Amino acid sequence: MAVAKYIGLYFKLVSAGIRAQLQYRFAFVMRIVGMVTAYTGTAVTMWVMLYQFQTLGDWNFYEMLFLFALSILSWGFCIILFFHFRSLDTYILNGTFDRFLVRPINPFFHFMAMKFDVASFGQFLFSIIAFVWVSLELQIDWSIGKILFLLAVIVGGVLIQGGLLVIISAFAFWTTKSEQFYWVAMYPARNLTYYPLVIYPKFIQWVTAFVIPFGFVNYFPTTVILEKETPFFPDYIGYFSPVVGVIFFVISYLIWMLGLRRYKSTGS
Amino acid sequence: MSIIEVNGLQKEFLIAKRETGFMGALRSLVKREFIKKEAVKDISFTIEKGEMVGYIGPNGAGKSTTIKMLTGILVPSAGNVLVNGIIPYENRQENAKNIGVVFGQRTQLWWDLPTIESFELLKAIYRVPDQRYKENMDIFKEILGLDEFLNTPVRQLSLGQRMRADIGASLLHDPPILFLDEPTIGLDVVAKEKMRTFIQEINRERNVTVILTTHDMEDIEKLCKRMVLIDHGQKVYDGEILAVKERFGKMRTLVVDLEEAQKPLYVSGGEICKQEGNRRWIRFNRDEISASELITQISQTHNITDLTVEEPDIESIISRIYQEGFTEPQFV
Repeated sequence: MAVAKYIGLYFKLVSAGIRAQLQYRFAFVMRIVGMVTAYTGTAVTMWVMLYQFQTLGDWNFYEMLFLFALSILSWGFCIILFFHFRSLDTYILNGTFDRFLVRPINPFFHFMAMKFDVASFGQFLFSIIAFVWVSLELQIDWSIGKILFLLAVIVGGVLIQGGLLVIISAFAFWTTKSEQFYWVAMYPARNLTYYPLVIYPKFIQWVTAFVIPFGFVNYFPTTVILEKETPFFPDYIGYFSPVVGVIFFVISYLIWMLGLRRYKSTGS
Repeated sequence: MSIIEVNGLQKEFLIAKRETGFMGALRSLVKREFIKKEAVKDISFTIEKGEMVGYIGPNGAGKSTTIKMLTGILVPSAGNVLVNGIIPYENRQENAKNIGVVFGQRTQLWWDLPTIESFELLKAIYRVPDQRYKENMDIFKEILGLDEFLNTPVRQLSLGQRMRADIGASLLHDPPILFLDEPTIGLDVVAKEKMRTFIQEINRERNVTVILTTHDMEDIEKLCKRMVLIDHGQKVYDGEILAVKERFGKMRTLVVDLEEAQKPLYVSGGEICKQEGNRRWIRFNRDEISASELITQISQTHNITDLTVEEPDIESIISRIYQEGFTEPQFV
């Protein structure tokens, strides 16, 4: 059975990737510390800002922290699974990408499983503490349904963000270098998710809903969980988050495969 | 049916034209012009099962491009490739099962992990049965001496060790065809010799077909009976190494040290091609005059203090083929 074979292989490759990373313990620990510090810094900024204004577009500090934590949590999983794609251009530049093409397995899968970035403990630590705190403050009633919805939303968020990483990496098949696209697309898109979309101009809201669907990573689902209103969009839009994730990821996979076909005929 | 069939193979690349200077760079940002480069113009050959073929050419001749098309990494612009009955670029994963690839400059092993782990991962990737894995590992340990470094991380291996590990890794799944791209590059003399012995053994005992690209002429001389010589994307020569040596190897050089060097030296049947102090280099064709005749001739006018006869090595022969072209001998 092909799928079972790939799952077994995935775990073997991933565990090798983890052991390889643990060879550099100091870098590993420092990355975790760095991440926690950076996210706490952003959260403190929010607090300071809201201390002045009380609310931002009808969102109070705890609601915003929930929104932020959800973004960080799915980003954490996304790093584990897909962050390796950010270095695809280096592989192509060095010519080391060829090795993925002389093996009898799907190169997308092989490349994805090569590295498993476990340094996202920082993201988990931060977001879980934030979730617990916010849940207590806002007295969120975590029913089974809500928990399942949250899990589905995280899957959707991982696929959306991972999908964008994959698309950005695929540019390397055409342009050889793709690092700059990360800063042009991924970085701003992720920063938008730190604040409720409602505070942005309508055009940006529309783009993050239908073009680069980062609104579905955290904003739309959060409005469902916290029962908030979504001006300009129907209130139930957040429920589509997992579906949007799957569709977006499939599209990004197809783009990547298209790029691979081009690579094979240019071989830059 | 031959194990590898290449027919009228072509590959063109479009390369962005870079203009010089700052303004040029700005201009090429806005409007890019492309130059068509034909890396492989028209190459055909067939290789039989169990053959060991040297694929040789200067840098940029199209060696790597050809190998990449045979391994399925690149799609040809025109022409046909058939490797073990499979079209590599259409059926890359199927083709991967039939081939082992070693790129001398880049390892395919997991850089940060103990060497043995790379073998186990490749076992899982190629789905090598346990029994076969064990047998192969035993053989590799013996002839490649893998034992001494199996638990060392790949990044700490010496180049020779890494190459041995890479070759072992490429043969783990018993491929009938092995591509070696510069397998001895950067190795010291002892390691080179070891590597050659191993390649020979693999070829002989498992009947593995080997295609070898290299800059090291000794590799070719010692390993291959046949060589395919390419230049500017075209085949210059395809045939036995011996035949080349026969044809171009008739020229010998006699090196003599003379006592009275200031006295002019005239030789008939040979040509003085170089002189340095008391030493003279005389080139001659072995079919026209023998070395002893030449020596007798010289010793009539000069006292010879020392002499050697140099045979041409394949390297100088090939550089002559590049310069003069290889025209087929009129009679063989």
